[in-house]
Amino acid sequence: MTSRRPYVESPVIMSTVRLVAPFVLTFGIFVTLHGASSPGGGFQGGVIVASVIVMLSFAYGIDLTWEWLDKRVLVGITAGGVALFGGIALGAVLLGGQFLELAVYPVKDAVKYGIELVEVGIAMIVTGVIVSLFFALARGAMPPAGETDADTERGGNEAAATDGGNGSASPSAESTDGGENA
Amino acid sequence: MIEDFLLRYNYVVFALLLGIGLYIVIDDENLVKKVIGLNIFQTGIFLFFITVAVRDGGSPAVTHGGEGTFVNPLPHVLILTAIVVGVSLTALALALVVRIHEEYGSIREDVVVEVLERD
Amino acid sequence: MITWIEGGLLLFVVLTALMTAMLRDVLAAIIVFGGYSLGMAILWVVLQAPDVGLTEAAVGAGVMTVLFLVTIARTTRMTGLEVTTVDVNWSAAVLCVVFVFAVLATVPALPAVGAGPEANPAFGEVSSYYIENAYDDTHVENVVTAVLVAYRGFDTFGEATVVFAAGVAVLTVLRREVFE
Repeated sequence: MTSRRPYVESPVIMSTVRLVAPFVLTFGIFVTLHGASSPGGGFQGGVIVASVIVMLSFAYGIDLTWEWLDKRVLVGITAGGVALFGGIALGAVLLGGQFLELAVYPVKDAVKYGIELVEVGIAMIVTGVIVSLFFALARGAMPPAGETDADTERGGNEAAATDGGNGSASPSAESTDGGENA
Repeated sequence: MIEDFLLRYNYVVFALLLGIGLYIVIDDENLVKKVIGLNIFQTGIFLFFITVAVRDGGSPAVTHGGEGTFVNPLPHVLILTAIVVGVSLTALALALVVRIHEEYGSIREDVVVEVLERD
Repeated sequence: MITWIEGGLLLFVVLTALMTAMLRDVLAAIIVFGGYSLGMAILWVVLQAPDVGLTEAAVGAGVMTVLFLVTIARTTRMTGLEVTTVDVNWSAAVLCVVFVFAVLATVPALPAVGAGPEANPAFGEVSSYYIENAYDDTHVENVVTAVLVAYRGFDTFGEATVVFAAGVAVLTVLRREVFE
């Protein structure tokens, strides 16, 4: 086992994140949707939204957040973003325009709303990819599903000595390390 | 001569950042540090692009159609997307580092080379 | 001419970059690199590029630092933060200094910082077209967004695809999949 300490809950971080997270999420969505008339846009907003999940992971433990997260939503967001962007782009072709020629949509201010939709698509892609990148790097090479629970449980007992037992979340990655180094 | 550089101070910093990034990539044995070096090199190039776009008295290009002095929006677009693509590529590089650590038990280049030579 | 805040920020980013290079402890280097990215984000805002600054603050100072941290959490044994410097490899350092001078040699040929369109070839016909016509063409006030999605949407579609592909590539490299 390494000298690293397992994840320990910090009430300060937890309550700060609980307070700040909704505002950060709102800000991210605002930046995405308001990119047309102020600095901002899909790339920035998407990263800010993704950082909410990263914040939650740091406060509540990476594994717990991963279990809480619905993976279908994550995959759906990422693929949906690509589909939305691609769909808007190709839809213009179907309506007789060129690729991404937003003016052909028969809506008032089609270009403006088209741009907003594309920004939302970009934000979805970026959010989904950044969240998956984070979890892939933080806990990617996990032992197969069956072993995960046992590991977490053992880590929980270790943490119990330090903080009363409800805290451990991420020691399984460490035990993978330890096994390989041995 | 000196004045040439004083008028182009941002480009001097750009050159320095490239040099520092290159040094980390060449010299540091730690693979994570190498990725950081790549990022410093990359932000140096971003600085070049953003500086090219600057204009005295210019404001960010948020406008109803052209009255006023604006900085050049085009390099901003390029760099904006480059940053996001950059973080994705950084993550890919880090994933490769994690795989190297799984295979060779170290993220230090010299140790990895040693393990490779021993086998 | 250079302002104090600009000069200070430039000095700050160069110093933090140097510290990143010199610190032996990789955790310390990552933390300093986070500070470097934040300095860069503020510098972008000072250089009138708020869109880029927003991205850099969220990506460079936020997500990137986190990605580095979780990587070393999985690959390096933490023994506490020790602040020692690396031994300078002089041949590599000389090579880099030569490289810096080679780049510096091209600097006098560049337009001065803040030069207007008459002296700066980067302000081409295209840029002024975007600024003048973006609102009429797209009804979007932020020209950066208009260029990003409308004028150069094909490019952006490619970028988004690269981001998506990088996500897929990471999951492929770390093969024991997270999506169980």
